[in-house]
Amino acid sequence: MVRKGKSAWLVHDLTHRGLTAWLLTALLVAFYLLLYLTHFFTPVARSLGLSSKWTLYGLLYTLAILTGGIHVLRKYRRNRYQVVRTSVVMFVQVVFAFSIPEILKFFHQPEYYFSYFWPLKFDDLNPGVVFHLPLFYALYSFLGALVMVPLLGVFFGKRWYCSWVCGCGGLANTAGDPLRHLTSKSSRAWKFEKISIHFVLAVSVLLTALLFISYGLGHRATALSRFTYDFQTVYAFLVVAMLSGVIGAGLYPLGGTRVWCRNFCPMAAILGLVQKLGSFRIAVKPNMCISCGLCSKYCEMGIDVRSYAQANQSFTRASCVGCGLCAEVCPRGVLRLENARLRTPQGASLVRIAPLTSASPLSPGGQR
Amino acid sequence: MRYVIIGNGVAGITAAFTLRARDASAEILLVSGESDYFFSRCALMYAFMDRMSLRDLEPHERRVYAKQNFRLIRDWVTDLDASRRLLTLQSGSSLAYDRLLLSTGSLGEVPDWPGLNRVREGAVHFVTLQDLGRAESLARSAREAVVVGGGLIGVELVECLVYHRLKVTFHVRAPWYWPGALAREEAEIVSEHIRRHGVDLRMDEEVAEILTTPEGRVCAVRAKSGHEYSCQLLGIAVGVSPQIAWLRGVKTPPRLGRGIQVSSSFETSLENVWAAGDCAEFSANGAPFIEQIWYSARRQGELAARAMLGDTIRYDPPIFYNSAKFFGIEYTATGEISPSLPGVQTFFCRLPAREASVRITERAGAVIGINMLGARWDHSIFERWIAERRDMDYAVAHLPEAQFDVEFGRVDLTPVAAAYHNWRARSAAAK
Ligand SMILES: Cc1cc2nc3c(=O)[nH]c(=O)nc-3n(C[C@H](O)[C@H](O)[C@H](O)COP(=O)(O)OP(=O)(O)OC[C@H]3O[C@@H](n4cnc5c(N)ncnc54)[C@H](O)[C@@H]3O)c2cc1C
Ligand code: SF4
Repeated sequence: MVRKGKSAWLVHDLTHRGLTAWLLTALLVAFYLLLYLTHFFTPVARSLGLSSKWTLYGLLYTLAILTGGIHVLRKYRRNRYQVVRTSVVMFVQVVFAFSIPEILKFFHQPEYYFSYFWPLKFDDLNPGVVFHLPLFYALYSFLGALVMVPLLGVFFGKRWYCSWVCGCGGLANTAGDPLRHLTSKSSRAWKFEKISIHFVLAVSVLLTALLFISYGLGHRATALSRFTYDFQTVYAFLVVAMLSGVIGAGLYPLGGTRVWCRNFCPMAAILGLVQKLGSFRIAVKPNMCISCGLCSKYCEMGIDVRSYAQANQSFTRASCVGCGLCAEVCPRGVLRLENARLRTPQGASLVRIAPLTSASPLSPGGQR
Repeated sequence: MRYVIIGNGVAGITAAFTLRARDASAEILLVSGESDYFFSRCALMYAFMDRMSLRDLEPHERRVYAKQNFRLIRDWVTDLDASRRLLTLQSGSSLAYDRLLLSTGSLGEVPDWPGLNRVREGAVHFVTLQDLGRAESLARSAREAVVVGGGLIGVELVECLVYHRLKVTFHVRAPWYWPGALAREEAEIVSEHIRRHGVDLRMDEEVAEILTTPEGRVCAVRAKSGHEYSCQLLGIAVGVSPQIAWLRGVKTPPRLGRGIQVSSSFETSLENVWAAGDCAEFSANGAPFIEQIWYSARRQGELAARAMLGDTIRYDPPIFYNSAKFFGIEYTATGEISPSLPGVQTFFCRLPAREASVRITERAGAVIGINMLGARWDHSIFERWIAERRDMDYAVAHLPEAQFDVEFGRVDLTPVAAAYHNWRARSAAAK
């Protein structure tokens, strides 16, 4: 039941797909369309003394993460995981995603973002770009994307990036926190996600391959380079501007905070595959779940956590970004994020008293 | 084979899944008067507090039921004729069964307070969906509330009413909060915490009379202390009892006590009729007992279904455990936890600067109960220690293995070890 009073109504309406939520969506979508497709914000940025509309956008984005982050730090102050993680994500945004690129620009260095990697930033492995960077940046791009990202993913899961470092995740977990419950939990949404995210990954890998081939062939392949160029333009428009910008952030008040991360982000797709092979998991305390559903409700990735918890099944899902909110909201302390192979003595909980029967009846119809 | 299950609570639905897993072609029907679909009763408070919608309380996607080929019937059963294996529903239709499971759960207990029979509006329980609806509509208009009953449902209702900004007085009959499970020290931690949320918590307070307006609206509660508490909402949370009243008037009532009496294989006194969950009454060494928590209902539902399928079942309640949350304080209990057990030794330690405590109870050199407040613990490890009859030294030394706190948030147990050392030395000196 909604609390009494006008402000409580407004908060509820905004966070439960009410009229105000639709209005906010319209505003956000309009903002992103103007930002990506027009020069509307250029004079605004100039008048503020900023070099471009992208600097203005970066500033707004960072402010959103900081104010949302302070709210989140207070809200979850009793949970150390949330406090540490949120502090890190705020720090990364301010330092690596905003200040350092600006400083580099000021000193006429390449505007380089140390907190983004291929394929999220596909120019990082675009030979036409990366081979023209100073060696240090080029090495960081290659080793970061091909070695560091998957390696950390194996040990700590996808979360090291998606909910500790990435700006998209940063916004979702700070300013987006009041909207996190809107992500669809249906099994249909899960089916869609599995197809869409791997499709985008395949497209971005193909694009990168084409970029390398046409770069290698040089002048000999003008038709191919023209095709690759068009491909790249379409990709930049559809995937970067439309999916990650307009749809990803614009639809927050309707589709929840992780529409982009869950369904389209190629980086998340790679990390998800790595996560399935690695040691991260959500441990489920046996026979303690009361099926209340808070964990599923507040999962921003749309994972039906409850279905695992009530079936006494510890699990690793590719989409899980390890934000830890399921463990935070669970009123019975059923869930725990862990890197199973790097376990402290708490690992003793791996030895379980056998559940009542092996085939738990609450795991319906072999869904997983 | 046609199985009919009365009650789509956790006991009933678990039984249905178990039956289906073993018998793909059986006809399985669930009849329930309260709701169309299974929902989590333990989560009622989150619907009341706007954290979830009613739909969110349903643990399964609705299409699961069609996939499992269950027939769901929304109706109340009003008559049972075991000689013809026939049920009558409130809508008038009848329903035949081959095997019947009664999993009818419980309802809030109605106390015999003077004046309660005059009440037309303003008094609520907090057990069913219908209770929730009534509580919500009252909470919209009421400013003050009195909640009576110092157990788990009481504190949940109090939390909901505080969320809706009512001025709440919480009456507990006992000298401290929840003496069935907590000792005075733990109860103090919990009481302080409840009070800090603005609740006027009154111990040793008992209802003398419910006062009503001439139209029958609750307007105040007069306590035995003489105090009068003005209120427009009275929450009754003095316990639950099996929902069996309807069975007293049927053609062939099963043998009833406080609940539906069953054997250790869930058979009632009627042929082809079993019972499980909150409504089932067992007897152990001649003494009747009823388990009324989620975990037992679920376990019983599964085992009763196996009994219905013909398995030999002897239900023996495993080591008890439970958990709860008092506003922000989490609570985990395992084993025998009543603070008034005879012949036991108890080590208690309140963690410094935290609303947290550790209590370990030992009898004849073996740990029998562990009661934890304010941190997260894996009760299954405690169960193992109790089953293995470990002593207290072992338990204290191995406590870290059972910690289940979030990463970076692991509670520091060095003060517990130190306190245990002192306690041991003192109890040795006393001997
Ligand atoms: C507010 C609240 C919070 C709780 N929290 C916890 C907790 O945190 N942990 C815990 O362990 N336990 C908790 N419990 C207890 C737990 O919910 C119950 O033990 C459990 O739900 C019992 O399940 P059941 O299947 O036996 O019965 P129920 O869930 O009560 O289901 C019985 C169903 O049968 C229906 N029925 C009854 N008679 C008829 C009839 N004649 N015709 C048709 N239908 C009928 C009822 O309407 C009901 O829907 C809580 C209970 C409440 C009320
Ligand atoms: S929040 Fe906890 S108790 Fe509730 S469904 Fe999830 S795991 Fe179970």
